[in-house]
Amino acid sequence: MASSLSPGGSRKQAGVNTLTEPQPDPVGLQTVLDNALAPASVHSIELHGATNTRRSLLDHIFNPIIESSRNPNTTLGDVTAQIGIASGKLSRLGIFREESTRVFLADAPRSQPGLDPNRTELDVSFNVRERGRFALSAGTDFGNSEGTAYTNAEVRNILGGAEKLTLNARVGTRTRSAYNATLSAPVNGNPDIQVALEALKSSAQKPWASHDEHLTGGSLKLAWAGVRPGDTHSFTFASIWRQLTGLTAQASPTIRHDAGDSVKNSLGYSYIRDRFDRSGIHSLPQSGHQLRITTELAGWGPLQGDVSFSKTEFELNKTLPGPRTSGVIFSGGLRLGLLYPLPFSYSLQGAALPSRVNDRFQLGGPTDVRGFKIGGLGPHDGSDAVGGDVFAAGGISMLFPLPVLGADSPLRLQLFANSGRLVALKHKGKSTEASSSLVGHGSGAVFKGVQSAVSDLVTGLPSTAAGFGLVYAHPVARFELNFSLPLVTRRGEESRKGLQFGVGINFL
Amino acid sequence: MAAPSWAQVPKPLQRLFDHFPLLTYDATTLPERSRPATDDTLPTLYTFTTPEEASLGRPSFNPSCLKWQTLLRLSKVPVRILPSTNHSSPTGALPFLLPPRSVSQTPIPASKLTDYIRTHGRPLPPAPVTPRLDAYQALIDLPIRNAWLYVVYLHSGGRADGWYIEPASRDPLIRYALRNGLREAAAAEILKGTGMLGIDLEDLDMQVLEKRGQEALESLAELLRESETGWFFGAEEPGVFDASVFAYTYLLSRHVSDRDISGTVKVAAGGALDKHQMRMLEMAWPGWDKEKL
Repeated sequence: MASSLSPGGSRKQAGVNTLTEPQPDPVGLQTVLDNALAPASVHSIELHGATNTRRSLLDHIFNPIIESSRNPNTTLGDVTAQIGIASGKLSRLGIFREESTRVFLADAPRSQPGLDPNRTELDVSFNVRERGRFALSAGTDFGNSEGTAYTNAEVRNILGGAEKLTLNARVGTRTRSAYNATLSAPVNGNPDIQVALEALKSSAQKPWASHDEHLTGGSLKLAWAGVRPGDTHSFTFASIWRQLTGLTAQASPTIRHDAGDSVKNSLGYSYIRDRFDRSGIHSLPQSGHQLRITTELAGWGPLQGDVSFSKTEFELNKTLPGPRTSGVIFSGGLRLGLLYPLPFSYSLQGAALPSRVNDRFQLGGPTDVRGFKIGGLGPHDGSDAVGGDVFAAGGISMLFPLPVLGADSPLRLQLFANSGRLVALKHKGKSTEASSSLVGHGSGAVFKGVQSAVSDLVTGLPSTAAGFGLVYAHPVARFELNFSLPLVTRRGEESRKGLQFGVGINFL
Repeated sequence: MAAPSWAQVPKPLQRLFDHFPLLTYDATTLPERSRPATDDTLPTLYTFTTPEEASLGRPSFNPSCLKWQTLLRLSKVPVRILPSTNHSSPTGALPFLLPPRSVSQTPIPASKLTDYIRTHGRPLPPAPVTPRLDAYQALIDLPIRNAWLYVVYLHSGGRADGWYIEPASRDPLIRYALRNGLREAAAAEILKGTGMLGIDLEDLDMQVLEKRGQEALESLAELLRESETGWFFGAEEPGVFDASVFAYTYLLSRHVSDRDISGTVKVAAGGALDKHQMRMLEMAWPGWDKEKL
């Protein structure tokens, strides 16, 4: 029977023979395999090297081993499976050095009284080394067509419960400055459920709409791993003060009208399923799919603030391998989004305010609809991309190896075609008075507006571009240099003829 | 300047480019909130005002905005008024004018509005040639403005909250932050205007600010009494200086009627400022019901 759990390597329980040094000859793998169905139990568990880690955190991890071994039907296979789970959890806590974690199993000495002679009694010993409590790092990041340089400070395992404080400061090609502080901790000792409290302050340029946006806010997030590996869910409450300011001289009336302060209080849920097979020698997924669903409720009911809407986005990417050994990869992507204005009250019937530029979707750019500038699709006021409330975008591409370099090279040739449509809600009737954007529209009018916008998505061909180019799949990011031409556009949309360079993680 | 030869698209490629896009549809409709902002027939004056008052063309509650709104009306330059904030302005301050898109996309700040009026409306009378102009202008820019900043922004019963803070956001925390920012800015302006930099606002006697404003108004009223035409400096028509005075006298008597300073506007020099204010209203908002303005 399990009788001891000793974190820290120094605490011992009387009468239990504990291992202070890993034994050179632990129970061999072959023995375990041979006896997987043999009855077994855990006699003691020890953890060495976790000097700064709280007992209560470790209890959550090791208790399942003890619980399962209390059952008289427990086999050696069950015990080793439980040990494997615990060891996985230890490493996912992120407070121990991965390479130094070792598990040792040994037969408990038979001399102990009260042991069942027909069961294998095990002494389990985990050896870990804690990572440093403080870590500083600096580097560069790529994402969504922006490069940033950052410095990062981390304080790990603050109270011994795998709590982590991260302080991050960054500047980028469009981010003037961004500061983040995040305090996160596993819930109930489970590294697969994390709660995080974040504060942020940032200032970023939005050149496609002639302004800067300053953000100040905070969020509380609960994230948990799904049942299958690669699935993550998260639930977030966020409150953000947005200030749209620093307009350029040529800013359009739409942007001038939206300039100023607004607060967004929102509840969000996101689900990401990543089933890409990245087993190749480079970071290009060979097969599989990725699904991302995010939905957000802002302003409605108790949330209040200055904006009220629901906003949902759906993204699916699928990759299929071509004929064997050809190194050809087909991939396709689909993205959909809808912003639905809601009243601030608890009902769905009241008047809802029309959306603002910082809440609407933007579409176009080297990482989504290629062959268009960033924000190149959808409604434009002068040269400003003012965004839309509903969008659909899709793309297909075919990647094949370059002649001399072959399929093992991270360099690929790409052929692609992609399309998108981004539209704003429309309301019938002429309401040019300034007050209409403050009073809002009744629920019936909003519904009709959404309906007409959705049907607008499929009137005429979507704006489309096609082309070819080079893809370099670096482990950090994917780089693309494409030559493309627009096939279908709308007046005001900004397409690109010729070369376009893109860097990012997620591509359509 | 032409692009350097290496940056130019080669002719054959340009001919290919010219074929694309193969199909161009009409522009996508702008979002709902753009609609009031992009009605393009008239130039737009961005001011501090409420949406309701903007649509009716009623006077702004901000002295600087009201001054230029009045001058544009006196010069019969038709404009549309939009409520706005300093964030929308190229200079960081309101008002500014945005011409119709067919004319230009470049905003015209308040400092350039006299030129705009000269080319687009009935010209304003020339500024009087007298060394006293600067001295009297300083009365408006310093003691009267300081008194206004005090009674509107710093005084506990001031109107700044309803005018500037409440429309900016519904969120109580943001209102608190904005209110503090606004009060600090007003205090800094007052200290700058009184030449007392480096002094804590708490040490400044607020009552004195209002008193000095009243004295300045009395001087202006005396100046007005000397004029035979009823306009400042004996001009035949109201000009920039009249509009500057009117912006304060109108707002003081409408919006802070409970304070001594608005009494001064009424009675100084036998009601000269009050009469001037009424005549300005009749000139700039002819035919309007005075009670509703």
